[in-house]
Amino acid sequence: MDLKRRDFLKVLGVTAAGSLLPGCAGETKKLIPYVIPDEEIIPGVADWYASVCRECDAGCGILVRVMEGRAKKVEGNPAHPVNRGKLCAKGQASLQGLYNPDRIQEPLQREGARGEGRFRPISWEDGISRWVSTLEKYPGGAVMISRPVPGTLSRLFSTFMKEISGRLLFYDPSGEGTLQAANRRSFGVDRFPEYDIANATYLLSFGTPFLSDWLSPVHYGLAYGEMRQGRPAVRGRFVQIEPRLSMTAASADRWVPLRPGTEGLLALGIGQVILKEGRVRLAQGDRSRFEKLYGTVSLDQIAAKTEVPREEIIRLAREFSEAAAPLAIGGGTASSQTNGTNTLMAVNALNLLVGNLGESGGIRFIEPLQGFPAAAATPVSDQALLNLKDSFKNKKRSLLMLYQSNPLYTLPPSTHFGEVFDQAAFTVSFSSFMDESTAMADLILPDHFFLEAWGDFLSDGGTPAAGLGQPVVIPRNNTRPVGDLFLSAAKRIGGNIEKQLPWTDFRTMLEDQWKTFLAREVPGQPFEIAWIERLQQGGWWKPEQRLISVSRRPLPESIESAQFEGDEKQFPFYLTLFESMGLQRGEGANRPWLQELPDPATTVVWGSWVEINPRTARQYGIQEREIVRVISPYGEVEAPVIFFPGNRPDLISMPLGQGHTAYGRYAKGRGVNPVILLAPLVDRDSGTLAMGATRVRIERTGRRGKPVLVDQTGEGTRRSPEGRRRSET
Amino acid sequence: MRKWTGALIALVVIITALIIGFFYSQGSADLRGQDRQPLAFSHQRHAGQLQINCLFCHRGANVSTAASVPPVYICMTCHRALKEQTPETQKLLTYWNNKEPIPWIRLQRLPDFVRFTHEMHLAAGFKCTECHGQVAQMTSTPRAATFEMGWCISCHQRNGASKDCFTCHY
Repeated sequence: MDLKRRDFLKVLGVTAAGSLLPGCAGETKKLIPYVIPDEEIIPGVADWYASVCRECDAGCGILVRVMEGRAKKVEGNPAHPVNRGKLCAKGQASLQGLYNPDRIQEPLQREGARGEGRFRPISWEDGISRWVSTLEKYPGGAVMISRPVPGTLSRLFSTFMKEISGRLLFYDPSGEGTLQAANRRSFGVDRFPEYDIANATYLLSFGTPFLSDWLSPVHYGLAYGEMRQGRPAVRGRFVQIEPRLSMTAASADRWVPLRPGTEGLLALGIGQVILKEGRVRLAQGDRSRFEKLYGTVSLDQIAAKTEVPREEIIRLAREFSEAAAPLAIGGGTASSQTNGTNTLMAVNALNLLVGNLGESGGIRFIEPLQGFPAAAATPVSDQALLNLKDSFKNKKRSLLMLYQSNPLYTLPPSTHFGEVFDQAAFTVSFSSFMDESTAMADLILPDHFFLEAWGDFLSDGGTPAAGLGQPVVIPRNNTRPVGDLFLSAAKRIGGNIEKQLPWTDFRTMLEDQWKTFLAREVPGQPFEIAWIERLQQGGWWKPEQRLISVSRRPLPESIESAQFEGDEKQFPFYLTLFESMGLQRGEGANRPWLQELPDPATTVVWGSWVEINPRTARQYGIQEREIVRVISPYGEVEAPVIFFPGNRPDLISMPLGQGHTAYGRYAKGRGVNPVILLAPLVDRDSGTLAMGATRVRIERTGRRGKPVLVDQTGEGTRRSPEGRRRSET
Repeated sequence: MRKWTGALIALVVIITALIIGFFYSQGSADLRGQDRQPLAFSHQRHAGQLQINCLFCHRGANVSTAASVPPVYICMTCHRALKEQTPETQKLLTYWNNKEPIPWIRLQRLPDFVRFTHEMHLAAGFKCTECHGQVAQMTSTPRAATFEMGWCISCHQRNGASKDCFTCHY
C-alpha cells in the first residue's frame, strides 16, 4: 500500500482520537471489601466441593470449583466409581442451568387462561397454602409425575404420595424400559446389570448408543476405552448393528445396517448358526430349548427379512462364538420398536448361548448397596403415563403435580396426553424452568437448582454407590428446595403424614438417613466426622464389588415382528429419531453450550435437520440444505436436508431435543420437535413408546434452509464457502 | 500556505498525542485519586506506630494471588474497643453500623494479561517493603514502584528468577 506521510498522520490522529472514547475505561477502580469475611473464602483461591451431577440419571460424581462464592467449573470426581473423574458435556454445561437467565425466580400463579403464559409472582406463604389447600380439597386425587430421583428425595416423595393416597410416577422419557422388562424376563432380576464391556474381547451391539446417551455414557465410554486400549495384548473388537450410523456405530470396527425392527431376527440367525456349528457353552437340558427357539425360521428367510447377507450372519456368528469373551448388548434403536422387549430377550439369549452370564467380560449382576434407607427410583413406562388419561377423565384424579418432567414435550401429540392437563382441576409444577408442561400449570413453586441444594443419589446396576450432593453456592433466586416444600406441606396437613415425615427440613431428613446408614457401615466413628468425610468424598461406595448369581434364564418363545404405522406405499420411509449427548430429549436445549455442541456426524449446531441418504435424495431431486416436509400419518415437520450416507436408503432420521414452544430464550422456537410425527404405538411387553414404529414420506418445499454446520462449508459457518477471503471477491 | 497547514496538522497530532499520553499515564500509573480514599486511613499510624503486621490486615497475601483489603470486621476488631473518636473513625463506624463495605480507591493495579501472585513472592522470602516501599512511614499509600514490565524483569534478573514470558503471561 502506498502510504503518504499525510495519510499516515491522518490515520494517527483518528486513532488517537478514537482511543479517547470511553470503552477502554471500565477497569476496576474500587476495592470493595467484605463487611464480615466468610471463613471459607480467600479471594483468588478456589474451593472445590464434591457433589452429584443431576443433568441425567446416571449419577456421576462431580467436583465444583467455587471462587468467592460463585461456581465456576464442574469436573468429574476421580474417586467416584461411576465416572472416575470424567464428565460429559451435559455435566460441564450444568453451570448454564445454574446461571440461566430464564430460570423461574420466584413462586408464580397463573393469570388468564391456562396455557396463555401469563403469571403473577406470589409469596411463598401464599403459594404453599394454595397448594396444600388443593391437596386437602381433592383427597386421594393427586398424581405426581417426577423425574426419577433415587435417594432420600425418592423416599420423601413416595411416603408423601402414599400417605395422601396419591399416585407417584417416576417418568424418564429416555429410559430403557424395554431393557428392564427384557432383563426381568430373562434373568428374573429387576435391575440393570453391569455389561462388562471393559473385559470383553468381542462386543456385538444391537443398536445401543452406549457412547452417547445409553444408561450411563461416561461409565460405558470409559469401559469402552478399556476394552480397546486398556489391555496390552488384546484390542477388543466391536460391531454395531443398526439402521443408522450413529456416533457409537462410527466408532465401531464394523457397522451392519439392517432393516429397522428386525434386530431380534438377526440375533436369532446368529444364534442359529452358533448352535448348528456347535460352539456353545450350555448345560445339558438347555440345548433343546435353544433348538426350539432357533429352529423357527430358516437362515435364508432371516437374511431376506433383515437384509443382512447370509455370509455376514455366518461371519458374525463365528466371530462371536470364537471370541474369548464375547458380549452382546441391545437397546437404543433395537428396543424402540413394538417388539423391543422381545428383541432384547433374543439378544440376551445370545449371551446365554455363549455362557457369559456372571463371567468377566459378560453380563454381571452386582450386589446392590445394602442398608441404605432410601431406595433407587424405578421409572414407569410411557403406557402408565398414558393410562392417567382415564383416571382424570373419570375424575378419580384431579390434581397434577410435576417435578422436572415435561410430558407435553416428550410424548407425541398423537397420544393426546394433553387431555390430562385439560381435565386436571389444578396443576402444580416444582420445576426450575418454564418448559412446555410447566407453562400449563396453575401454580409454580420453583425448586433450587441441584448445585444449590442438598441431595443424594443411589446408583444402581454396575456401580452401587450412594452419591452425596451439597449446596456449593448460595441460592441465586427466591426458590426453595422441593424437599423442604413437601416436608412443610406434611406438617400443615398433619396427622399420620406428619408422623411419617417429622423432619423440619430436607437437610435434616437427609442427614438422618445417612446417620442410620453410616452407623452400620463405619461403626464407632462419630457421625459428624463420618458425615464430613462423606461430604468431602462425594458419597459412599465400596472398592470391591460382589457378584450375585441369577438362575432364571427363560428364552423368548419366538421372535415377534415389529409393527409399523403408516401404509408402505404412501409412507415409504422408516423414521429414526435419535438423541444427542447434549440435548437429550430436549432437556439440554436451554443451555447454549449444548446447543453449540456439534452433532458428531453432521456437525450441525443450533437447529434441526433431516438426514437422507444421498442416493435417495438424488432420486427425489433434493438438494442439500433444501427444506423438506417430513409427513407421517400423525403430523408433519419441516427442516433442511443434510446428506448422510450413514442412513439406509429407506430411512429418514432426525435429531430430538429442539422445537420447544417454551423453555426459555435459547430453546424456544428453534428447530422442530419430530416427536409430533410419532404414532401412539408402544412396545407390548413393557409399555415403552415405540419411537421407531412410524413410517413417513417426504415432500419438497422448494425453499432453501440455512442449517449451521461447524466444519463443513455453508452459510453461517466459520469457514467461508470456498475458502476465499472477502477482499478477493 | 500548504506548508503551514502541514505543520499545523503535525502540531495538532503532537498535542493530541501528549494529551492522550497524559490521560493514559494517569490511568495506568494511578496517580489520581491517591488522597481521595473514602476515609483517610494512615499506614504510618497502623503499620508504623502501632507495629501491626501487614498480614494482619492483608490476609490474602501469603495464601492467594491477591493481597486483599481487610474486611470492615477486621478494622472493628480494634476500633470497637476504642473510646477516642476522630472524624475519620466516625466514618468507619458509620460504614460498620450501616453494614456497608468501604469503597476503597484501588491504587495498585496490573493489567489483565499479567498474572502476579503475592503468595509465591512471600513464599520466596520477599518482604512487603521490597516492592511496596516503607509503607510504615507513609501517611497515605503512594506507589513505591512503577510495577511495569521492566521493573519486574530487572528484579527477576537480579534474583535469578525465570524470565520466561509464560511466567507472568498466561
